[in-house]
Amino acid sequence: MSAKREVIPLPVRAPDTASGSGQPLSMAVRGGDFLFVSGLTAIDLRSGERMQGTTASETRQILTNLKQLLDAAGSSLDKVVKVNVLLHSMLEERNMNEVYARFFPDQPPARTVCGARLPDGVKVIVECTALV
Amino acid sequence: MREVIAAPLAGLDLRQHYGHHQSPAVRAGGLIFCSGMLPVDPQTGERRHGTLTSEAHIILGNLKLLLESAGSSLDRLVQVHALIYDSIEYDVLNRVYRQYVANGPPARTVWTAQIEAGFKIQLDVVAAA
Repeated sequence: MSAKREVIPLPVRAPDTASGSGQPLSMAVRGGDFLFVSGLTAIDLRSGERMQGTTASETRQILTNLKQLLDAAGSSLDKVVKVNVLLHSMLEERNMNEVYARFFPDQPPARTVCGARLPDGVKVIVECTALV
Repeated sequence: MREVIAAPLAGLDLRQHYGHHQSPAVRAGGLIFCSGMLPVDPQTGERRHGTLTSEAHIILGNLKLLLESAGSSLDRLVQVHALIYDSIEYDVLNRVYRQYVANGPPARTVWTAQIEAGFKIQLDVVAAA
């Protein structure tokens, strides 16, 4: 028996195939019981505009968007099982962590944080896997 | 169902020791997702900086403790992301790593990244529950 794979259509302007931005990715794909969410950068989900800021402000924007995306996909922040956070510098880890903690008050997901070279001056990327 | 797995030993609770806002591992959908594993003393949580080899031994020992406390084991790993500070250490990583995954090693990806506190390696893994 093969498990279900489904690209989740989302009512947002995100840089994915569905929005016509030309980026060859889907924001969220369901596979079996899991929802896999693409690495998110700080954007305005209505306009699709970049929202460049500090590590803290980008983290806040990304997680606000993530909440909206998960809710639209039939999941939610409290169903997230694993998060990967990529930072432009590990010196910013604390700035990210303080904001992050407010979005996952109880029983936070497993998480890995690392520093990496991110494209176009992006300071934070967050990707996650959630139950759906 | 989503179930948070507690640290089997106090030192493995990085939230308590370092304020990392994360659970040690989460079980969901027949899998166990572990937070990024670091070379800390499993009893005290103290950082154990060393060579990539010594750090990897500590991490894999800690991972064994964590997975076995959750009813899984190193033999049940399905995917490993090995983050290392410099790709020049790739062969060094393999020498340690192969000692722990003798039977049908898991899928694996290795890349270079900046790891917290100047550690040389971090393992990010998924295991079958």
